[in-house]
Parts: sequence; C-alpha cells; structure tokens
Amino acid sequence: MLDILVSQVANGLVLGVIYVLIAVGLSITFGLLGVINFAHGAFFALGAYTAWQLHQLFGWPAVVLAPPLVALVGMAVEVTIIRRLYGKEPLLSLIVTFALALLIEALIRFAWGADGKPFNPPAAFAGIVEAGPLLITTYRVAVLVATTATLVGLWAFLAFTPYGRILRAGSRDPEMVELLGINLPRVLTAVFGLGCGLAAIAGVLAAPLWTVSPSMAANAVMPAFVVVAIGGLGSFRGAVVAGLAVGIVMSLTIQFKAEAAAASMYVLMFAVMLLRPRGLFGERWERFE
Amino acid sequence: MRTLREMRRLVHAAVTTALALAGGSALAQETGPVRIGMIYAKQGPGASIGEYLQRGSTLAVEQAGRKVLGRPIELVWLDEPNPQVSQQNMQRLIDENKVVAVVGGNYSSSALAMMSVANREKIPLILTGAAASEITGKNCNRYTFRTQATVPVQMRGLMPFVSQIGKKIYFLTASYAFGQDILRSGRGLLKEVGATEAGVDEVPVNTADYSSYILKIRQARPDIVVGGLVGGDFSNYLKQANEMGMKDRIPYAAIAVTDTDFWDVGPQASAGIYVKPWYYNDPSNTAAEKRMTADFEKKYGQPPSDKTWSGWIGMRALLEAIEAAKSTDPKAIVTALEQWKNTDGEIPFFFRDWDHQLVRPAVIVRVKKAITDKWDFFDVVRKTSDSEADTLKAFGGRDEIGCQMAPL
Repeated sequence: MLDILVSQVANGLVLGVIYVLIAVGLSITFGLLGVINFAHGAFFALGAYTAWQLHQLFGWPAVVLAPPLVALVGMAVEVTIIRRLYGKEPLLSLIVTFALALLIEALIRFAWGADGKPFNPPAAFAGIVEAGPLLITTYRVAVLVATTATLVGLWAFLAFTPYGRILRAGSRDPEMVELLGINLPRVLTAVFGLGCGLAAIAGVLAAPLWTVSPSMAANAVMPAFVVVAIGGLGSFRGAVVAGLAVGIVMSLTIQFKAEAAAASMYVLMFAVMLLRPRGLFGERWERFE
Repeated sequence: MRTLREMRRLVHAAVTTALALAGGSALAQETGPVRIGMIYAKQGPGASIGEYLQRGSTLAVEQAGRKVLGRPIELVWLDEPNPQVSQQNMQRLIDENKVVAVVGGNYSSSALAMMSVANREKIPLILTGAAASEITGKNCNRYTFRTQATVPVQMRGLMPFVSQIGKKIYFLTASYAFGQDILRSGRGLLKEVGATEAGVDEVPVNTADYSSYILKIRQARPDIVVGGLVGGDFSNYLKQANEMGMKDRIPYAAIAVTDTDFWDVGPQASAGIYVKPWYYNDPSNTAAEKRMTADFEKKYGQPPSDKTWSGWIGMRALLEAIEAAKSTDPKAIVTALEQWKNTDGEIPFFFRDWDHQLVRPAVIVRVKKAITDKWDFFDVVRKTSDSEADTLKAFGGRDEIGCQMAPL
C-alpha cells in the first residue's frame, strides 16, 4: 500500500506543478493588471498548437519558440483589447475575456481543424523511472524539472531585478510609478504577455500528455482557477502551494474514491474559503477593497 | 348600417386573403424545396464528431443528386452544444425553417430532449448517435428512430471476445449515464463469460490526467481493461497509457469509440480491441458503403469515420423513406421508415417497427500491430453476430426493451 501511495503523491506533484504553471500566469495577470483573464486557457491551447506546428515544421528544438510567440500574441491582444478594461468594473473584464476565449478557440479550429493533433513525448524522454516504491515516467520528471526551473526563474525575476520591482510597485500604486517617469502602459503590455507566455509554457509541456484539441483548455483552466482561489489572488507563493496541494489531493482521492476526484479540489477550496476567504496567502489589496 | 356593411366587406377580404395565402403556401409545400434539419455539434469537444456526422449526412444528399421526390433538398444545420439548446434548435427547425424531418443527435442527453419535441410536433427524427437504452426503451416514441446500437447490445458483442483474452477484468468507465450503463452491462455479463472483476474506477467526465488511474490499474494487475470513456477523455487515456508503458502490457477494450479518437492521438499511442458500428476498410462493406467511402475520400482527401457512416445512413434512410412514401407528410414518412429495409449486404438491416431501433450487427476491430497508413488503424476481427436471427436476438425482445409506442 505504501508503494502505491508514494507513487500517487509523486504523480500528484507533477500534476500539481502543471496546475501551478497555469495558475501563476493567471495570478500574475490579475495581481498586476486587475484583470481576471478567462482567455488564459485559450493561450494554453494556443501554446500547445504552436508547439505542434513548430515540431511539424522544424522538429523538437523549435518548440521552445512557442511560448515567446504566444507571448507576442498576448501583447497584441493587450494593446488592442485588454488595455481598455483597466480600472473598469471586474465584470466587464470577465465578459470580454470570456468572449476572447471563445474567439481564440474558434480561430484554432479554423486554422488547424476540429480534429485533435497527435503529439507524443520526444523519444529522449520515453520510458519509466522506477526507484524503490516510486514509479514515474521520464517525461513527467522532465516536466517537473522544467516547471520548477521556470518558477524559480520567474520568482528571481520578480524579486531581484529592477524590472520585477517596477512590476510589483506598479501593481500597488500605478500613479506613483508613473510619477517616477516610468512608462507604465508598456510595462502592463509586457505583464500580460508574460502571463500568456506562462500559459503557453504549460500548454507546450502538457501537449505530449493531454490530447491537443481546440477545447483542451477547458480541462486545464478550471483547476487553475481553483488553485488561484485557494492560494490567494495575485499571490505567487499561494499559487505554488495550492497547485501542489490540489495535485496531491486529487491523486490520493483517485486512489481511494475515484468518482470523487473532480469534486475533491472544490472541497479543498470550500474548506480554505471558509477558514480564510482571501485564500492561503491572499493579502489585503487597497485597489480591490 | 354602413359600418356593418364595411365590416362584412373587411371580413370577406380578410377571409379571401387568408385562403389565397393558405393555398399558396400549400402549393409551395408541395412543389418548393424539401427542407431537412440536421442537429450536430459545431463547437466544444463534440465539434470534430459533429463535423464527420454532418459530412456524412450531406454526402447522402449529394449522392441523391440533392433532390427528393423531384424537388430540391435544402439542408439546415443547427448546433448540439447541450440538451437545452439542442431542444430549442429542434423547435427552431420545425417552427422557423419548416423542416419535414430532422437527422442528428449524437449525445443521449440531447437526444432525449430533442425526441420529446419530435413527438409533440409530430416531425420524424432520426438519431445518428446516442446509445442510452431508454431512447428506444421506456422513453421511445413513434416519431423517433435511432441508428446506434444500445450499450447492452454492444457489450454483449464485446464481453465474450474479451474473456478469450483474459479472465480478470478492470472496469474504467465515465461517471455518468453512459459509463454507468457500460459498467452495469459488463458486470451483468461477467458470470456468463466466466470472468471476474479485478477493479472498478468511475472517472469524472473531462478528466485531463489519467496517470493516477493507470497507477491503480498496474497495481491491480488485471488481464484486460474494459473501458467506457468518450471523446477527449478516451484520447487522453490512450496517450497516457502509452506514455506509462501500458500499451503492450495490459490490453484495453471498449465500445462506442470513433475513428477520430485514434486519429487524434496517432499510431504511437493507439492500442486495443473495440466494438464500432462500421469501419471504412472492412472488406464486408456493401457496394453503397464502398461508394460512399470513395466519394468521401474524393471530396475530403481522407477516409470517412464511423460517425460519417452514421450521418450518411440516417440521411439515406430518410430520403429513401420519403421516396417510398411519395410524400413529405410526417405520418407517411414514419410508416415508410418502419417498412424501410436495407438488403445491400449479407445481413439485411432495418428499423424494428415496435421500438424504431436499427437492427444491425457491429464490427469488432483490433488496432494493428504496425500502423503504416495515416488513417487505417484497425484489423476487422469479426461481426458481433453472424445472421439476421442472431442479430435480432442480440437486440433483445419486447419485454426486455420495454417500449410502449402510441399509434400514429
């Protein structure tokens, strides 16, 4: 029994880090721009499709270009649409980004067809790692490493670089940042692009695991919203802790009561919301009070 | 007095106009285009299946020269996103588009909603998917026909074959009506085929990651997994089972799958044994089916899926019934469909007159050891029954089905 539990927890961790990666992008977009981006899942799907297309055209190495390309698309969307939502009622951003999600899904279907696209892990990552009671596939280990590296890199960027400081300051007091002579609109465009790029990285990593189809985002984006709610809106640390918790809780629920697996993350969210309505690491934000 | 005369004149004019309009519209109904509705998914996870169904139905119309009773056919295609909107679209097709019949409905939940409208409005509906037993069982009605075999019928074809591979069976089924139907039927047949249950998992719909389920299956060490997953869920499972080294280790068997589930994941991840209504590369396909395959390949540059066949046979049966009835009168179409019989192949197939279920054997297929063609994934193993009598028996008797149909 212990063997399978160890394997399930390890498996839950991998699932969790993918959720973290999707959720962090969502959380950053909200935390810094105040926009709840319903189209986040669509950028996740766009990342997977771009990776598939690049792989078809140029092979595996080209796949790393998918997230920056999607980030550029995200920046174009920010300049043309999202920018108009800043400071407006949150409901408006929900409606507009929801419409955007439908539009991007329809565009994916138009460009690549309604059928799914076959996409398997690269041959270098085929196989299973068995270490004592632990059983995990090589590709999932690679996902764990890549995601951890991305998250550490992102944290270091936000915490230690001057640009990261501007982002954090801009999210709390945009007027003061502008008074200091910083071009805030350009910063915000970059932030939205960063969020979309993170969604795309998750899409690229998930593409060999999950079916690449126009509606693939639906299965990924709900857990991400739950993770953000549990961790606290806008909290990087919260998204990491909550994502891992959701992954592990779901894996263990599958082991003991499979039919309740999907409900388990909502039960966790419900429990956290009752005890801490702002989420585990949610802070009081003057802008949203 | 004058007012009374004026009023009489007004009433007279109104009645004359109404009669003229009614006469004109009756004339239009008999000589104008024949409108036929289609309800197939255009968006969401079912969009790909919807497209293949629609292409099949449209091809049947094109093969008929886009005419029936010498009149042009107009097709109106509306979406099947969920039961509520599918039902509204069914009503719209009848009220606004004035269709004479509707072909469509891939999901049991939508089909059940649509068929109540068909019955109320007395418009023939041919369902091209939807496997829930109650559609031609306790909820059956005179205006609804169904091409897809029910879950128990398909499971009766699959389980004896599965038990030849191994006796320890693990059930992995979707946690809603369709999956529960598979689990119930599968469990009911365990004793008959001499097999035992190694484990059961009922999986919530729209599960993206199956790795935790696969770990459980590996631990239970069954001889075979009998599945009841659909669409994207099934494709996700196939992909991850391959990734976790299950492909050549524990075989997978299932019913109600479609070719696109496999085309979506590709040859590398595809494996297993399946019951399907039809396969394009089955040597026993009829001449008409082979012609449909050729026409489809010519038009779309790829072979048709079994969903294309379902859409095609549903529309073809309807057009042949309208020709046989020599009328677009709903009652005449229903009577003609009840008498419709396809005798192209070795085993004739038809809609049974007392429950409107298409009685026809399915094919059991196995994924090829080495897939060399982008589309041709299967070897046909056998049919689920070998004669008309066996097929009828497999579909169950009146008492078992429980359909009580009202007179026309």
